[in-house]
Amino acid sequence: MNLRKLPTREFDPLMLLTALGLVAYGAALIYSGSLANYGSPSQALSHPVSRQIAFGAVGVLAMVVASRFDYRVLAPLSLSMYVVSLAMLIYVLVAGESEYGSSRWITIAGTQIQPAEIAKVTTVILLAKFLADNEDNIKSLRVFATSMAIAAVPAALVLVEPDLGSSLVFAVLWFAIVVIAGARPLHIGVVLVAAATLAPLAIWQLAHGYQLERFKVWIDPESDPTGAGFNIIQAETSIGSGGFWGKGFTHGTQTQLDYLRTQTTDYVFSVGAEELGFAGAMLLFALFIILLFRCVRVAGRADDAFGRLIAVGVAAFIVFQVFVNIGVNIRLMPVTGVPLPLVSQGGSSLITILAALGILQSILGHRRRRGRA
Amino acid sequence: MGILAGNRRKRWRSEPQEVADPKRELQLKLWLLRIGILVAFAILTGQLARLQLVRGDEYQQRAEFNQLRIEPVIPSRGLIYDRNGIPVVENVPGFSAAIVAADVPKERQLEIVGALERMLDVPALETSLKIDAARASNDPFTPLIIKDGLDRDTAFYMREQLGELPGVQVLVQSVRRYPAGAELAHILGYTGRIDSEEYAELKDAGYINSDYLGKAGVEAAYEEYLRGATGQKEIEKDAIGRELRTLGETPSRPGYDLVLSVDLDLQKRVTELTKAAAGDNQAAVVVMDVHTGEVLSLVSLPQYDDNIFSGKTDEVRLEQYLNDPRKPLVNHALAEQYAPGSIFKQITGSAALEEGVANPSTTITSNGFINVPNQYDPSIIYTFRDWRVLGTLDFYGGVAMSSDVYFYYLSGGYHEYGENFDGLGVDRLARYARQFGLGRKTGIDIAGEAAGVVPDPQWKEQTFPGDIWVLGDTYNMGIGQGFLAVTPLQMARVVTAVANGGTLLTPRVVREVRDSQGHVIVPNEPQIEGSVGVSDTNLAIVREAMRQAVQWGSANPAQSSKISIAGKTGTAEFGQRFADGNYETHGWFSGFAPADDPQIAITVFLERGVGATHAAPLASKILEYYLTRQQQRADGAGAAPSGVTP
Repeated sequence: MNLRKLPTREFDPLMLLTALGLVAYGAALIYSGSLANYGSPSQALSHPVSRQIAFGAVGVLAMVVASRFDYRVLAPLSLSMYVVSLAMLIYVLVAGESEYGSSRWITIAGTQIQPAEIAKVTTVILLAKFLADNEDNIKSLRVFATSMAIAAVPAALVLVEPDLGSSLVFAVLWFAIVVIAGARPLHIGVVLVAAATLAPLAIWQLAHGYQLERFKVWIDPESDPTGAGFNIIQAETSIGSGGFWGKGFTHGTQTQLDYLRTQTTDYVFSVGAEELGFAGAMLLFALFIILLFRCVRVAGRADDAFGRLIAVGVAAFIVFQVFVNIGVNIRLMPVTGVPLPLVSQGGSSLITILAALGILQSILGHRRRRGRA
Repeated sequence: MGILAGNRRKRWRSEPQEVADPKRELQLKLWLLRIGILVAFAILTGQLARLQLVRGDEYQQRAEFNQLRIEPVIPSRGLIYDRNGIPVVENVPGFSAAIVAADVPKERQLEIVGALERMLDVPALETSLKIDAARASNDPFTPLIIKDGLDRDTAFYMREQLGELPGVQVLVQSVRRYPAGAELAHILGYTGRIDSEEYAELKDAGYINSDYLGKAGVEAAYEEYLRGATGQKEIEKDAIGRELRTLGETPSRPGYDLVLSVDLDLQKRVTELTKAAAGDNQAAVVVMDVHTGEVLSLVSLPQYDDNIFSGKTDEVRLEQYLNDPRKPLVNHALAEQYAPGSIFKQITGSAALEEGVANPSTTITSNGFINVPNQYDPSIIYTFRDWRVLGTLDFYGGVAMSSDVYFYYLSGGYHEYGENFDGLGVDRLARYARQFGLGRKTGIDIAGEAAGVVPDPQWKEQTFPGDIWVLGDTYNMGIGQGFLAVTPLQMARVVTAVANGGTLLTPRVVREVRDSQGHVIVPNEPQIEGSVGVSDTNLAIVREAMRQAVQWGSANPAQSSKISIAGKTGTAEFGQRFADGNYETHGWFSGFAPADDPQIAITVFLERGVGATHAAPLASKILEYYLTRQQQRADGAGAAPSGVTP
């Protein structure tokens, strides 16, 4: 039947709504977090909130556009997109702009772009394409090793930026994708064991001095209460002092008196936890859980391995970034600069994630099914 | 592990099963992914609940402590005026560079201490060590002074650079300037930075570790009045220490103002005259109001400029002062003690009259010396000399001519060669000396006083074990020699008591304490220590004798054509005996004026001087200057002609 070949045109409004909810939540926190430095948002376009909303709009547009196109067109493009994003990562290393001791930015047309955020999505797509193409040989070591190499190259490039957090994101999204793709358990087990034994050693050897320093300070922030330990102590204080209901939106003393640093980016969660309290944080968690479950739902419904693996990869890197970012804020882990997806200030991350969600919508909407959905 | 086990099992199964399974296997994996997501959020929720719900209160306190700082508000130090209302101290801004260790980013410390070395010439290593030490201490937020006494230009330049120097501050603190400088330094003293011992003691009283406090003179003695009460300011600060708003303030109370009893104009005149009389030698002059004990002038030569201690201590000049053998930093009027010589005869004479040992008509003949045989070996004869052969003298003559023989008789008596004159004896003499305030501090409101020595047999036994008190010791004491040691200030108090009829007053350089609105906090009242135990009738005889001393006796060089002066000279021997049998001498004069209605008393001490030739004329000029000036002022103001009361 002809009907069998028609796309389902399904669109997940709940996914869009939770994504928009998270962007709005983030914009509110960015507004509060930048009051101390910007005052009212009257400075229009240069204000972080205006910029974030503009990026959000671009992202939503990207999501809608992506959902209209058949995601399968990405398959032939996946390698070139991947190569371009690698080129950007290399460019960043050579000519990127530094902040806090690592080079992560390039500026194109007046906009700062973080190639690592883009590379996460292109890597997911290439991995999905490669593993879908090799679905039958998925248990072969060659396929397994090649997939690992696909993730390892960008991971290594961001590691030397240095950006250990993003580097781990590549490892995790790769891991999730190969597990779902059905890689041989032996291979996965070997990689896990190797990672568990080599990771501490590798961190010791490869990580820059600052990473070690961060580790020490994480264990005992009081060793340098006004330097590297400052953020850790102040974020903890901000969050803890929020209590159940928080101090009220824009009334967080820690935030408004500038005790928090990078309070609109890496530490945006602390602003929310201080001002909106445990209750506000639970709302945020709920939004994330719904969003992630909608992503997993896409993976379960996808027509093919390509779509399924993209959905898994996107879900994996979002959940991992959320976990790492908030984990750093609440001092579960040492400081690593990973943004909170959809919430942290920053266009690159916001737009790529919204676009990635658009791809997921496309996977949902371009299934070719017989009978009822 | 679940995945692993499931797969291993599968490998033993048949092909069709393996094909049939993937759908279920995928759903299983996706469920595991969902569970993984929930576990991740559960972990985050757990830690969040621990921070916000379990330990929320603790963090809340910490957040409040973060932004609230209680800072002391240092009061402005009280001012000091002379008795006529002339300000003698100013509070001027003093600049110093300080560093708050907690605000110095570790990674920029080298750069910052380097910049400070270039700007302020303080060794970078030293600053760096200070910062490290402060960081390790429990109080890294208190500013540490790294350089004091910045000049205005450097301070302003540094202020502009502060943006580049996190943690560095330019402190503006009030420091003292003394317009009169050296002329009042021995009275006013100076302030200085609190040292660590003082800080430990005073921090609860509101002092901060970069504070100033009085270190000498009136500045030290009246510290609690001058200081004022430290206030408190509760301020909200942001993360980089900017003051955002003041939440509450307990205002400081400015220090109380002091009115000196010292007359600045007289003080200047006394300084000038004394310098002329003393040359390069040490000298001390004390002028007192005989009714109140107020010190009108107190001069100690050589002087020092107390401004060298304002802000940054001028080490070069301090070194000069410390190396000067004449000890400019020591107040010779009250911190050093000397033999009083003949001015002590005021006490011997008063005591002899009061005890009935002598009366105005008691005559004694001075042949220029008396001989006393050793009480154990009469073959040894001791000779006690008079300063010259003076013939037969009554009490007035004995005092006026300052006959030593006359006073040997009064103090020790004379029982040799057929004469039988009972003297006071050492015990009574010592008792009167103490009644006149000798042998202890006068209690003047300037720190660093010496007590002096009133010797007696017990004292001698303790000081020189095995040496017993002999008659010669009493003779020497009677004429103000021997072991007796006094300060010029003590002798000023003695002559004041003689002049006012026997009241022993506590000398004071501050007559009144007022608050900043002019309300009197401590009123101007004479502080009476007691009576010297000599009747005014007898003291009147001593006064008359002293008037005659000036009129025709040994103190005649003190004679003034304008005013009537009574006084007694003294020339005290000290040090090693010269080959000609003489000693070096200190010159003294102790007197009052007007002779018939005493208003002010003076004691002059001139190192290496002679009473009559040096001390008496100087005293005369000072008394004359003061009384004629007062007279002129009174006439000018149309007030009562006597007009000597200030």
